[in-house]
Amino acid sequence: MAGNSKTAPFFSSAGSGIFRMPGPQILTVLLSIVGLVVASIFFAPSSITLGAVSGSIPFAAVLAIVGLGQLLVVQQGGFDLSVPGGVSLAVVICAHVPAGDNAVLPYAVGLAICAALATGILNGVMVGVFRVNAVIATIGVNALLYGGVFAVSGGVPILTTPLLQKIVIGTTFGIPHSVYFALAALIVVAFVVKKTVMGRRFEVIGANKTAAAAVGLRVRLHESMAYVYAQLLYCLAGILLAGILREPTAFQGEALLLPSIAVVVLGGTLSGGRGYPLATFIAAIFLNQLSQFALAVGVPYSGQSIIQALALGLGISVHSMQRRFGQRKLT
Amino acid sequence: MSATPVSRSEAPAEVTIRLSNISKYYAGVTALENVTVEFYANEVHAVLGENGAGKSTLMKIIAGTIQPDTGQIEFGDRIVSPLSPDSAVALGIAISFQHPAILGDLTVLENFQLALPPSIFEGKSATDLTREALAEVGLDIPLNVRADQLNIAQKHLLEIAKALAIRPKLLILDEPTSALGKDATDMLFDRIRQVASKGTAVLYITHRMAEVRQIAQRITILRDGQFQGVMPVDEISDADVLNMIVGRTLTDAFPPKAKGDVAEIDFAVEGLSGDKFTDVSFAVPHGKIIGVAGVEGNGQSELMRAIAGLQPSEGRLELKGQALSYQDLQKQTAFMPSDRLTEGIASSLTVRENASFGALDKFAQRGIVRHRKEMGAVGEVFRSLSVKAGNSEASILSLSGGNQQKVVMARALLSEPGLVVADEPTQGVDVGARFEIYSILRELSQQGIPIVVNSSDSAELEGLCDEVIVLSRGRIVAHLTGDEVREEKIVSAAVNAHGTEVGHKAKAAKGVLQAGKWRQFLQSDLAPVVPLSLVVVLISLYVFGQNASFFSAYNVSNLLLLATPLGFIALGQTVALLTGGIDLSVGPLSGFLVVVASFFINDGDSAALMLLGFFLIFGSGFLVGAINGVLIRFGDFTPISATLTLFIGIQGFSFLLREGVGGFISYPVIDAINTAIGPIPVAFIVMVLLAIVGEYMLRKTRMGWQLKAVGSNEEAARRIGVRVDRVFIAGYILTSLLTALGAVMLMAQIGVGDPRQGTSYTLTSIAAVVLGGTSLRGGRGSFVGTILGAILLTVVLSAVAFLGLSQAHQYFFQGALMLVAALIFSAASQSKGASGLGRSWLGRRKALKLSSA
Repeated sequence: MAGNSKTAPFFSSAGSGIFRMPGPQILTVLLSIVGLVVASIFFAPSSITLGAVSGSIPFAAVLAIVGLGQLLVVQQGGFDLSVPGGVSLAVVICAHVPAGDNAVLPYAVGLAICAALATGILNGVMVGVFRVNAVIATIGVNALLYGGVFAVSGGVPILTTPLLQKIVIGTTFGIPHSVYFALAALIVVAFVVKKTVMGRRFEVIGANKTAAAAVGLRVRLHESMAYVYAQLLYCLAGILLAGILREPTAFQGEALLLPSIAVVVLGGTLSGGRGYPLATFIAAIFLNQLSQFALAVGVPYSGQSIIQALALGLGISVHSMQRRFGQRKLT
Repeated sequence: MSATPVSRSEAPAEVTIRLSNISKYYAGVTALENVTVEFYANEVHAVLGENGAGKSTLMKIIAGTIQPDTGQIEFGDRIVSPLSPDSAVALGIAISFQHPAILGDLTVLENFQLALPPSIFEGKSATDLTREALAEVGLDIPLNVRADQLNIAQKHLLEIAKALAIRPKLLILDEPTSALGKDATDMLFDRIRQVASKGTAVLYITHRMAEVRQIAQRITILRDGQFQGVMPVDEISDADVLNMIVGRTLTDAFPPKAKGDVAEIDFAVEGLSGDKFTDVSFAVPHGKIIGVAGVEGNGQSELMRAIAGLQPSEGRLELKGQALSYQDLQKQTAFMPSDRLTEGIASSLTVRENASFGALDKFAQRGIVRHRKEMGAVGEVFRSLSVKAGNSEASILSLSGGNQQKVVMARALLSEPGLVVADEPTQGVDVGARFEIYSILRELSQQGIPIVVNSSDSAELEGLCDEVIVLSRGRIVAHLTGDEVREEKIVSAAVNAHGTEVGHKAKAAKGVLQAGKWRQFLQSDLAPVVPLSLVVVLISLYVFGQNASFFSAYNVSNLLLLATPLGFIALGQTVALLTGGIDLSVGPLSGFLVVVASFFINDGDSAALMLLGFFLIFGSGFLVGAINGVLIRFGDFTPISATLTLFIGIQGFSFLLREGVGGFISYPVIDAINTAIGPIPVAFIVMVLLAIVGEYMLRKTRMGWQLKAVGSNEEAARRIGVRVDRVFIAGYILTSLLTALGAVMLMAQIGVGDPRQGTSYTLTSIAAVVLGGTSLRGGRGSFVGTILGAILLTVVLSAVAFLGLSQAHQYFFQGALMLVAALIFSAASQSKGASGLGRSWLGRRKALKLSSA
């Protein structure tokens, strides 16, 4: 009846870091990406050349940041379908408000952050306070955001501001800055969730709301705040996108909704449970590299999304098998 | 101590069911061992025993819901084991469950019709039959109110009425009176006697001795899964029955109790009333442990939550001489919940995280948790509790039940509480760990922390507690101190109590639901239809005022046609939401099906080829629905992850078939699809008719009830015999087939295969369904409402164009509509969902409070 791992030392040092000893979730995605790189070396060497990687890695960085936002919401048992609106609004504010004028850029960025805060609070209040179903609330808010996107941009693309472009696509030690932003986002999210009192409580609430309520934690507040954090991350992703693309369209965020959910699911995070920021991050890189690989071996766009769907389905199955296996061990 | 079984010769002639040598073990724990028992026609046979004695297991074996490990069942003179739920029903075995299998989202009538075999209703009006059946148990409620409007007593009576209505040969009643007042109980007993006199064997499971004397002729007693004896009720004294129920040898050891009288009171409760308990007062003297006892479900767990400050209550709570509000009390209380898996532990977290999450701020500096400090504190408390956890970073689920419970205790200790409230602290805990838990509680008590323990195990209370209060129907019926704290005294106080019910419940049991036609409509699924139609009309009139051509035949026709693809797809989405799921793949599916069509339905193609095209549209739809359903039910996917996977995959297939736009759809076909009668397109009429037919089926046919039942409460649906998996998968197939109809309309509108089209219908369809009032939680919704939602969205789209507004306005309107509708529905469902009629009307609730005070 007692624990099955009696031989292991009680105080394992491996668990002390931000990124605890790699769990099965992280191992799964890590193995997948290693497999993918090996496959690339043999079948599609062009997909892992410096040029190919540095061309696509900024998009992986954007996806990773959006995925981290979605992760925080999913972890609280919610779903955020306002990703497209949130990202697109940040993109158009950073592209259209300055309209090429470098001096206005800081204000535009500030405005984008304010918009993200307001959106996050609106989502959070709808879900956390008024108990509206997360799917409905975020679809509604997304429509409002699209209204905002049209109001700001008129629905047309525009040339981005040179300063922003310089900041985002510039490189340090040969690595594009967008990657540093994504890493910073990962470290902040992982540190806050794993190390701070607030984050640890957030995680407990995600894992079991009733147990958290039984020790007096403020469940609804944390649930609501998840949407605010998420919007801030979408905003960061939007700002980066506005710099990565020379001429961003008005609905740049549209294509990010499903991948954002896919990377969270691939990273092994379930609706309401422990969140895995690092695994989500790696899943974003994996998904991106998968497209690169498919492209290099000559699979058309159609094949790419079929491959993505298969990878997603497989990933979900592996995680659910891991969970089943883990539970079977107990009895 | 033990009585010999009644000799067979005294028994009435006809044996209805005989169980021989039945045993059932759960993971090595004995639930029933070698039980042999017979139930006779024309007789009420009571089965008594403490919680966990095996009564429910016995009942479930007879119902066919669980299979015994050994033994044989004979019905009449036939061997019928192994029994399945279906064969049990076919034999005429009816059960009224302790927790009624009532589906809250269905009406009373629907609950009744769904739970009973169709043959019962043959040749009779279902309404009359149901009304009669309800009248038999004294239930006078309108048949078309939703069951979640009923209070708990009414639900129990409805459950009993369902069991009686099939005129069973064997009727099993599991604690049927636990929620009933005296009048309802008397009426029910009359009914039971009547039924028995007509030849039915009644198996009556209860805790209460007084009831047994009133109703039963014969009594069987179980203890710890063992058969203790069977005898006629009038030949045995209460004391003997009691001895057979308890009589357990105390194998557990207990720490020594506190000595002598103590004047100092550490925690006091005065005149506390709340949900399910009334006017409870007791005090915890310094260094003592107070036990709470009673038959399960008599207000103990509610009382525990209230004194832990987790629920508001009326009365006085005083800790160390200081009166506290319940919120303040909560901050000082460590609560150990009884349901460890749902409330005690967070199963995805580690042992360490589970131990420390109540006291994180104690290990933190400037908001950052110090790992060393946390590990040190957790390690120390684990050592003092001798928690056997191999590795603090292992999953909490890797520990045994006893050690999990110690982790919950560790959390309580780490928060340095002023009060410990332990609800069933040793449930699911092995014997060894039990003693340790008792010792820890005693030690805490000696340190001056007041402790209140609720336990259904009377022997445990005897061994552990210095004083015990016994609750019955929410009131204290005995307060035992000193030498009185003995198992027999506790059990006798609990089972012999005649207490009347807590005020508001007794009242409500008799309360008649208000059933004005208008009020019923407001609470029905169709209610959103009125405001939606109103909004559609108002917007249209406003736009008409600005631009008269809005009502031109051309525009009306166009608008209605435009609403059809969305309408059909949204009808499909409604089905998915009714089952409690969601289908994200409808958008890409509709686009994909148009692409498929664009290869077959072109000008110049033969009729056969075109027919094949249509066949492929619906065939592919069927396949996609089946894949969705199978992935969700058998592949361990959530509805979102399954349909999201298909979303991406289907999109890929669209592009696989066509990289760009191509394949013009045959004009004659398009014209045929777009035919109109006057300004009204035929397709629109078809859609409306389909919605009406769907609405009818949802309300009046078994299929519709099953769909709603699965979404409303899967477990209850399973118990009344709905084949949940099958219904669910059929639902997803239906969703995809309706989407295929939408694709046909979409095909006629875009007229060409385009892999980029369609995806937006996923979110828009959800929007239309939600506007129409269908709940995302499943179980309730309306097809007609969905159609109106789709029309409203299309009208808004058209209005924005007519008014010359920018597209921004279109989105603003859509978003605002969604949010406002969501707010209204969520407010409505919260007031309804609370707990039946008591809470839905504020005025009523206040009145009830006064009456119970």
